[in-house]
Amino acid sequence: MTRFLIISLLLIVCNSCALKTTEGLRAVEVTNAEVANPYFSNTDIDYVYKAKIEIYGKYVGGILIIKKVEEDSHRVVLTTEFGNKIFDFLYKGDSFTKNFVLEDLDKKIIVNTLQRDFKLLISERSKVEEQFATKGQQIYKSKSNNRFNFYFFDEKSVILKRIIQTSKRKEKVEIVFTSKRNDLAQKIRINHSNIKLKIDLNYFNKN
Amino acid sequence: MHKLYFLVAILFPPSVLSGQEIAMSVSEIASFKEQVAVSSKSTTTIVSDFVQYKHMDFLANDIETSGKLAFKAPSLVKWEYTEPYQYSVIFKEDKLLINDGGTKSDVDIGSSKMFKKLNELIVDSVKGNMFDEDDFTISYTKTSKGNKATFKPRDKKIEGYISSFELFFNKKDGAVQEVKMIEPSTDFTRIVFSNRVLNSKVNDSVFNN
Repeated sequence: MTRFLIISLLLIVCNSCALKTTEGLRAVEVTNAEVANPYFSNTDIDYVYKAKIEIYGKYVGGILIIKKVEEDSHRVVLTTEFGNKIFDFLYKGDSFTKNFVLEDLDKKIIVNTLQRDFKLLISERSKVEEQFATKGQQIYKSKSNNRFNFYFFDEKSVILKRIIQTSKRKEKVEIVFTSKRNDLAQKIRINHSNIKLKIDLNYFNKN
Repeated sequence: MHKLYFLVAILFPPSVLSGQEIAMSVSEIASFKEQVAVSSKSTTTIVSDFVQYKHMDFLANDIETSGKLAFKAPSLVKWEYTEPYQYSVIFKEDKLLINDGGTKSDVDIGSSKMFKKLNELIVDSVKGNMFDEDDFTISYTKTSKGNKATFKPRDKKIEGYISSFELFFNKKDGAVQEVKMIEPSTDFTRIVFSNRVLNSKVNDSVFNN
């Protein structure tokens, strides 16, 4: 009886420590060496979004601007609706520069979280570690420092639908794209599992 | 070489090179201030369309948004963006009432000295009544776009966000036509007013969220 209890307890514990991202997925042979996020890869486009941010019950609106400024660089800027900058980040290769952050927001935990979220959003190419498949979807797993990124593509349209970033055991951040084209996301939602932070983006630029 | 100078001189006369900005004389400043004071004193309400251009050097195009502005003396202001999204903010007493496409929120600015200052600036710049030498060093010039007043904040904290404000006034009636806020990075926001209606009836309910 005791043995049975221990075994079932162990089973429960192990089950809960398995990453839920890969639940129901079947591992397949890696066919693509790289996985690409196409949404912010065109240097000619000003990617301009209306942003709605909910952070610990507080609401902040603004305009999020993403621009690929050079082959390996992106600017990510959030302004208020009046155009005043809230933050201004520069990503160049693996380096990150905080050009400007509004004083009230300039706290390590906030900047690090935003820095990591937008890095995940704009990262263009990553080496595929594992590949999975499920009905109608191809999933590519890549490694990023001590975290893992899972890219979910619609099999037929080859449109990137979701990115989930996880630690070894837990999902941390999910980015959901709503897109009719495979190179531009009309709507983006960034959602955190462990902190109360949600970012909604709506593409509005005319060009 | 001389030929080149000659060509440059013809193509770009000095007035073009300097953006046709000429400093006002002391008497011109006085009469300009008087004109703006008279116009702002007689203004009880303003309703106007506006187009906002956000310029950032790294962008291919300025970000263009537009909408309507309503002002009611002494200090009620509503900025309502209608294109390409719905967003409005009402400055009312010590609060900002925000409606972001149906998501309503309010921000208490009573405790924030800087926000208060910014709010004053917005109200005053809409009215054109903004000649407080305690807070700004002000310079006055005449340009092709009208009379121009440039405000540089004295407060170091505000200076960290905005290096200067430029207000362009209609030469005829002293009304504000354009506001430009320039950041320390030289990126700027330019708001251009049009279809301005003065002293029409504006209900208080316009300023409810």
